[in-house]
Amino acid sequence: MAIETIGVQVDGVSKRFSHRVKGEIYAARDVHLDVAPGEFLTLLGPSGCGKTTTLRMIAGFEHPDAGSIRLGGQDVTGLPANQRNMGFVFQNYALFPHLSVFDNVAYGLQVRGQAAAVIAKSVGDVLALVGLSGYEHQFSGQLSGGEQQRVALARAIVIRPRVLLFDEPLSNLDAKLRVQMRTEIRDLQRSLAITTIYVTHDQEEAMAVSDRIAVMSQGSVVQEGTAEDLYYRPASEFVATFVGRVNLVPGTLIERSGDTVTVAALGTTIRAGTAHAAVTGGAAVKLVMRPEVLELVEVGAGDFRADVISCTFLGEKTEYLLRCGDVELQCVRHNAGAVGAIREGSAVGVRVAASAVTVLPEAAR
Amino acid sequence: MTTVSAPAIGRDPAVATVVIALWALLLLFVVYPLVTLLGRVLFDHGAFTTAGIAAILTDRHQVRAFWNSLLLALLVGSGGTIIGFVFAFTAARSRLPRWLLTVIDAAVLLPLVSPPFTTAIAMIFSFGPRGLITYELLGLKGVTVYGLMSTLSSEILTYFPIAYLTLRPLLAAIDSNLEGMALSLGASRWRVFRTVTLPLCIPGLANAFLLLFAASLADFATPLILAGNNFPVLPTQAYLQITGLFDLRGGAALSFMLLVPALGVFLLQRYWVSRRFYVTVTGKGAGQTPFDSISPAVRAALLAACAVVAATILYFYALLLYASLVQALGANHALTLRHYRVIFTEGLRVIRDTLIIAGLAMPLGGLYGILVGYLVARKPFVGRRTMELVSMINYALPGTIVGIAYLIAFNDPPIELTGTALIIIACYVFRYGATGIRATVAMLQQIDKSLEEASQGLGAGSGTTFRRVTLPLILPAFFTGLGVVFIRSMTAISATIFLVSISWTLITVRILENITELSLGPAAAYSVLVVGIVFVVIALIGRGLRWFRAPGAIPVTSMFGG
Repeated sequence: MAIETIGVQVDGVSKRFSHRVKGEIYAARDVHLDVAPGEFLTLLGPSGCGKTTTLRMIAGFEHPDAGSIRLGGQDVTGLPANQRNMGFVFQNYALFPHLSVFDNVAYGLQVRGQAAAVIAKSVGDVLALVGLSGYEHQFSGQLSGGEQQRVALARAIVIRPRVLLFDEPLSNLDAKLRVQMRTEIRDLQRSLAITTIYVTHDQEEAMAVSDRIAVMSQGSVVQEGTAEDLYYRPASEFVATFVGRVNLVPGTLIERSGDTVTVAALGTTIRAGTAHAAVTGGAAVKLVMRPEVLELVEVGAGDFRADVISCTFLGEKTEYLLRCGDVELQCVRHNAGAVGAIREGSAVGVRVAASAVTVLPEAAR
Repeated sequence: MTTVSAPAIGRDPAVATVVIALWALLLLFVVYPLVTLLGRVLFDHGAFTTAGIAAILTDRHQVRAFWNSLLLALLVGSGGTIIGFVFAFTAARSRLPRWLLTVIDAAVLLPLVSPPFTTAIAMIFSFGPRGLITYELLGLKGVTVYGLMSTLSSEILTYFPIAYLTLRPLLAAIDSNLEGMALSLGASRWRVFRTVTLPLCIPGLANAFLLLFAASLADFATPLILAGNNFPVLPTQAYLQITGLFDLRGGAALSFMLLVPALGVFLLQRYWVSRRFYVTVTGKGAGQTPFDSISPAVRAALLAACAVVAATILYFYALLLYASLVQALGANHALTLRHYRVIFTEGLRVIRDTLIIAGLAMPLGGLYGILVGYLVARKPFVGRRTMELVSMINYALPGTIVGIAYLIAFNDPPIELTGTALIIIACYVFRYGATGIRATVAMLQQIDKSLEEASQGLGAGSGTTFRRVTLPLILPAFFTGLGVVFIRSMTAISATIFLVSISWTLITVRILENITELSLGPAAAYSVLVVGIVFVVIALIGRGLRWFRAPGAIPVTSMFGG
């Protein structure tokens, strides 16, 4: 099934709502996105950050107050949703309850006036693709959550949409099915090479499916990049804390030379591989250290010394809570075999690789 | 959240066309008559005047009619709510077998599907000067049935089903765990009822009271037959002013007096009571209480009370049927089909007229109901809320006011409709189509908007989406609208008595004429015919509903609920 591959450009799009208590608020504020043909972009953010509003504006369900939306260079800002030829998968699937699986999937083709034989063939093909052959005459009420999800997916792709849009498609599924479905969505998207925009609040899901992630907060895109970019080189405290677990350690910048930055923190000096451009000498900064980059060694062998407040054995890994001065640090170590002799109340040395540490200015929220 | 920049309706030409057409109709058949009525009362040759109102306020007879109307409405509201609550509580809490519930529902349904004065006729048959009970059974002579008491009892029996239908789903929806919790905390059953069940019902009780208050305030036929000269009420006074004295202005002024309390009740119900519900009625029902929430003695007492009321209703209708089959009730009890022969020969044209009007009003009213309901619930257009409010006006106002307003508005050019069937049909469509609107809005609130968006996203325009997705899902609301418009077209009288003519008249009006001419046999026969037709149509609509209902659609529990 070949689908024409095009890109999506969102240019300075804004959308205001009137809120009963807060007055007029921006659901989306000057949002810019550039999705390459065939790319899988995820809008990630907490609830109320504007990701769904942005997606719905791309689909044509909402109309931006400002800005424009282009599909493959063509301005579609004023085009109604039914003329945009996009596939949309809703959070609640929105399967027509009065139609069978076949009729649900056939709906978009019937609207396009295709011949019955063509429709039957296309529907059969796409149901086979999502693994639902034989379900044609069932109704949505008789399907499990995962099956409904697949019907919704089949219904969206059978019309050969130019762009595929997902609005939190997995949030109504249980944890195990969620993992399975996200792999299926990703595989399907790859095999169809269809430009996809996906909305979720689950950072793990975002990292698993996306080529690129745009993190949104309060109506704006705050950072765009690959999963690794966001995880290891967050541009703000918000992104650092929203994507994964993190230790934010206060410090003072001593000097910045070339690729390395030296920061006074944790009673010693810590070297970092990346630093926010705004950071200069003498400034108060925050060190971004992920729990798994803290390596536990003998006392005296590490960069600094810490006390073990608690350790929790979780099978594949052990989580430690450390204290260094008045700073508490989370640390995760994977267990290669029998656990070593680190106990609660003991002291350890901690070593940090400079390349795994990022420096943010104190004010970058 | 609503969008600040309401999307222009111009974006969707199909929607825009329908909205403009509906506004034109609403302005013509709701706003224009009401404004004309107010103009007639408050303006004389272009000058503002309160002379018409003052004339009523200084007329002791009319002032008495005003207070009588309020008193009657108050008593009917209280009495009907209490009986309705007893029925609802019994049905919801005393674990009745299914067949008994069906009997109760049938007995309660009867008054709702009959012409409004059916109980009134049965009252006369039973308690009149030659009444079956007063004269034949007790041998009393010279008793008078006319007055407050008979009007009150008749109206309570006619309208308490409204209270029953609003309170029963509410009681069923109260989470039984709340009552179980109170019981487990050591409260007695009576205390649980007093401190948990009843407080949760208070908004529902207030709502039922206001509905009954409005129904009684608007009732025209019952007082006309039963109230007599010593207990004048506003709707009948307005009617007599117009048909007896040919005083259109005076009748309009009297109906204006009625407008004030009616509007008050409407606003109170809409903006105050409806926002104070603790219990959300989803239509699913929480099922029967898992424990015995009433003691056997209380259960027996409740059942006895319901049995008495239900038996009275059934007796009244049996009496009506009997009266239609004997020469003259109270005088000659020989069986005969004479009355039916009369109504099917000289009365055939009335039956034909009524069926034509009801048959035309039904599809139009049903269509109007789902169109307005769909637009106000789903489409963001300027004046959406105003449209919803305006569409409710003719429904909320007493029929007398609507009838007089139509009479004044459409009697003269530019729009002369008096004497046509159209004026009666329009009156029914814009008055009773409101039920379909509310049913549609209620159903759409349960249908996620994403279904329509999904259709749109798949390339369907708003017309296709409505036809292929929305309409099949709200079909039950459409059938509810059809049913209610048909039933009311067959049974209503308060508004249309002002609109019938030599060319087009209605069964209900003919029944009233028969009663005033004291030809009670044909009146009974007509009433039986109406009840029969209505039952057949309800059964057909119920069948149609099952036939058409898609597997995923939401069932409608009652055609009259809410």
